Parts: sequence; C-alpha cells; structure tokens
Amino acid sequence: MPDLAEISALADRIRLRALRMVEPLQFGYLGQALSAAELYASVYGGPLRPAHDDVVVSPGHYIVCAYAAAAELGMLDAAGLDTYGQDDSEFEAIGTDRSQGVSLSCGSLGQGLTGAAGFALSNRLRGKTDARTFAFLSDGEMEEGQVWEAAMFAAHWRLTNLVAVLDANDSQVDGPVSSITTVEPLPEKWRAFGWDVYEVDGHNVGAIATALDQAIASDRPAIVIGRTSTRHGLDAILPDDADGHFIKLPPAMALAAHEELEARLA
Amino acid sequence: MPSANPMTRYPTVLKPYGRALVELATAREEVLCLSGDLTRQCEIDLFQGAFPSRFIHAGMAEANMIGLAGALARRGHMPFVHTFGVFATRRPLDQIVNAIAYPNLPVRLIGFMPGLSSPGGPSHQAIEDVALMRAIPNMTVVDVADATEIGQAVPAIADVPGPVYLRLKRGEIPLLFGQTHRFSLDRAQILREGGAAAIVTNGMIVASALAAADIMSTHGLAVAVVNAPVVKPIDRRTVAAVARTVGAVVTAENHSIVGGLGSAVAEVLAEEGVGVRLRRLGIQDTFAEGARRAPFLFKKYGLGVQDIIDAVWSLAGPSTPPPIAPVPESERGEYAPV
Repeated sequence: MPDLAEISALADRIRLRALRMVEPLQFGYLGQALSAAELYASVYGGPLRPAHDDVVVSPGHYIVCAYAAAAELGMLDAAGLDTYGQDDSEFEAIGTDRSQGVSLSCGSLGQGLTGAAGFALSNRLRGKTDARTFAFLSDGEMEEGQVWEAAMFAAHWRLTNLVAVLDANDSQVDGPVSSITTVEPLPEKWRAFGWDVYEVDGHNVGAIATALDQAIASDRPAIVIGRTSTRHGLDAILPDDADGHFIKLPPAMALAAHEELEARLA
Repeated sequence: MPSANPMTRYPTVLKPYGRALVELATAREEVLCLSGDLTRQCEIDLFQGAFPSRFIHAGMAEANMIGLAGALARRGHMPFVHTFGVFATRRPLDQIVNAIAYPNLPVRLIGFMPGLSSPGGPSHQAIEDVALMRAIPNMTVVDVADATEIGQAVPAIADVPGPVYLRLKRGEIPLLFGQTHRFSLDRAQILREGGAAAIVTNGMIVASALAAADIMSTHGLAVAVVNAPVVKPIDRRTVAAVARTVGAVVTAENHSIVGGLGSAVAEVLAEEGVGVRLRRLGIQDTFAEGARRAPFLFKKYGLGVQDIIDAVWSLAGPSTPPPIAPVPESERGEYAPV
C-alpha cells in the first residue's frame, strides 16, 4: 500500500499544476483535473511502472492530468508545460500522437479502451505476462458504442492485465451525463460485459488504492469506477454551476484557486 | 499483356488474396490477420488454418477492430484487417483517421466486394470507399484487377511505411495478366497504345476497358488503355504523358465518379495543363440497388463494355455509330467482361 498522505498531496499537486497550465488561457480542461486528480495520483504514484506498463488517456481532454502527474513524478520535463495549449506548443490541450508520457491519447472519444485492449493483446501475443495496461476513461464517453465493443473484446480475450480507471464525474459538454443519456448503472453494465468491477469514492485515495490492487490481481479485465466531482478541491472557489468540461477561469478566480491549493500543500 | 482478342474469356483463380497473405505470413512472422466476422468471405480461412495463433476474430465490431489494428501496429505487428469495403471504410471512418492514418501506422485495410461487385444493395456496395480513403492524409489507395496483380500487391504493400487501403473482388478472380506483369506502387501501366483516346482504369473494369479498346481498334480507332491500380498517390507522370498524346480521356472505375480514379485523373489533367476532353465513367453520383447478379448492375449503372465504347467514340470517334460489343456468355470458372 502506498503512502496515502503522499498520494493525496500528489493529487493536489496535479490540481495545482493543471491550474498553472490552464490559467494563462483563462479557460480550459481544469474540471477534468479536479475530478480525476486522485485517480491519476493513485495510478502514477502507485502501481504504474513506466518502463513496463502502458498508460492510455482515452478522453484526450484529460491529457492535462497525465502531463501534471508525469511532471510531478519527474517522468516528463516540466519546463515545456507553461506552453500548454498555446500556439506552436508541443503540449496540445487535447491529447494527440505528439503527447508525451502516454502510450496513447484520443481526442475523438470512446476509442482509448480499444487501443488499450490492443496493447494488452500485443503483450499477450508476445508473452509479456508482466506488462500492464492502464486505461483512463470518462463516463461521458460511455455513450460511444465503441467502448462496449472494446469491453466485449477484452472480456472475450480475458485480457487480465488490462485495468480501466473510469472517472465518473457526471459531466459532459451539454451538462450532467445523467441529464443527457442514462449511462447508469455503470457497475452492473461492466459486470454484465464480463469485467471485474470496483466502485469507489474517486476522491478517497485509500479506497482507490485497495481497488487498484484488486483490479490488478483480478483474473479478468477489471475496472475501477471512481465517483467524482469536477469541482473537488476547489469547491469553495468555483461557482456551483462551473462548467465541468470547459471551465472559465478569470484571473481573480485563478488567484483564489492558487491560494487554496498552495495553503493545503503547505 | 492480355490477349488482343476482344471479349476474351479469362481463366479464373480461386482465393488469390487468401493464398498471397499466407505466403507473406510464412515469410514475415509479424503479420497478423484480423477478421470482422467475414472470414471465409475475405479468403482468410486460409490464414486461420495456417496460423491460428496469429488470427484474431474481432467480431462484428469494426470501430474496435480498427483501433486494435492501430495499437498492434504501434507495437511492431503488421496487421491486415479484413471485411467488406463498406464496413472497412464508411463505418469506422473516424477510427481510421484517428487510430491509423493520423499516427501514420502500417495497417493494411483490405476491403472486399468493391462497388457493384456486390449485388447486395447500397448497404453492401462500396461506391465511395476510394473517395473516403483518398481524402485521408498518409493513406495509400490500391484497386487491383486480377489474380496476378493481387499476388504481387500483397507483398508490395507490406512494407509501405504508412496505412494502405486495398480493395478487391473476392473468390473467383480472373487472370488477366501474364507472369511478366509487374505491379508497381509508383507506376501505372500502359496496357494498350493508341493515339485517338485513352481509357484510364483499374480494378474490375480493366477487362472491360481492354475489350472496348480492342473492339474499337478493329473499327479503326486506336485507343490506349492505362491501368492505374494505385489511385493514391496517382502516377501523375504516366497519366499526363499519355493524355498529352491523345484527343480525349475516359476514366472508368467501379466506384462513384466523385472522388475516385476519375477525380484523381481530372486533378492531374487540370494541374498539368493538359487541355483534353475528359469523361468519367462510373457510378454517376447515385446509389445503386440490390439485384441477383453483379453483371446486371454493371450494365444498368453504365459500366459495361458498350458504355466505355460509347463514351470514347462520342469524344474521339468518327461520326459513324459506335461499334456494338458482342454479349459474352461466361461459363462457370471463366470471367468475361460485362
């Protein structure tokens, strides 16, 4: 079991670094980092072995989390991150093939689990029984049919070294996922598709760590479903109706967010 | 060089693609075979029998199959993806763009039953697959005519650094070309010389174009035939060079006239400043229909030998009526132009 206090601090450092990247743009994909910070911190600061394992960031809008986590752990040269989302930057705001530090990121949603299944299948074909594939997903993209094609494929092939981590933040462009299309009940759906399912409070690093351990030990493909909020960690600063997908971040709000996160990390 | 006898009946070969893939996979252990629930129909029952551990049932889930192929290619495998042309291109277009073409991965998409070769109706007739694939950066697009070309194209596309879309008829394939024929990824081939007009064609229409040219030749009109199996990148040099020597160009393709071979040739002629009349034969920007037999559809939608003769004659022939193509009777195991 990793040091949970360290994982929690790593989550807030991910939030702070994401804030620094999004802040100069005055709007962007900060809500994703707020909801998924503990999930990324728990994988990056926990079972992930960069030399052996693959990380897939299926919703490319979450690449900010992967950049932040990798930079915090020294897996990525953080110097370039201040160009995130700017013209001519190598750190595009939506993940592409140029995105550093991940095996795959997909700006067109619903495709990442397929890629992760492909990596896991390749490892199987090559006899690399030790290699794991971590696929970060989000609940909005559960509306894409390809996710379920990939879910069936992975279960049929019993890709045991595939672990999906789903940020269930109930947020998509048009509003709460639950108000757009009912994707629930997610645990039952994944179970019915042949996966082992571990549903947790996605901001509780202890629960996430236990779930990841079980998911890795599972003899099927496994998914950790983290229930999260796109305002977590900055609830007191962001308005109640802050757009979780593409948040507006005027300078005064960004400053207050800085103070809040830095105070917590002090 | 195919026979000069108009309306030649060509011998046929069974499953040349399936055999060529097994041959390639025997030499190249990185070859993987993915099937979208059309294994026998795509001739890869042969691969499945020979290399069961390298055969992957992706099931009836094309979007996932394309993404799997992309991930496998990233890891150094050489995935060949098999389904009908419609399901290989129009259905998973976004996946092809994002998971294969944009990262420029060496995935080979093999689309069977091109154009009107399927009597299965609009859902099964890939009439815009070339246009879709041609529009995607990094993609190479190939449409092969006969068993010889198929046998040569399979190893030829294996080492293209980026993605390739190969469309081809399945099952019983005519043998048009002799052993001296050389498929090239760079060069189109001039199958017939002739100064009056040129027919630029490929795939299933090559036999019909040859028959049309030979019939016109016996009626005093010398018509060149250019086989351009690689639609992208099109062999600009050969197309422009031939076009400069003739009075008219007719393209003939088993595809919509929008976006395919006819469009590629039109772009070359315009950009090279070849001021020659052009007519594009193909499916005239319409959907076709289900029927019992494909030859009926080729005739109904204007891709018969007579249609080619009429088009060339109207642009480059004398004012006399065009010659009439005899109607061939194809026996089982033989392939005759429609």
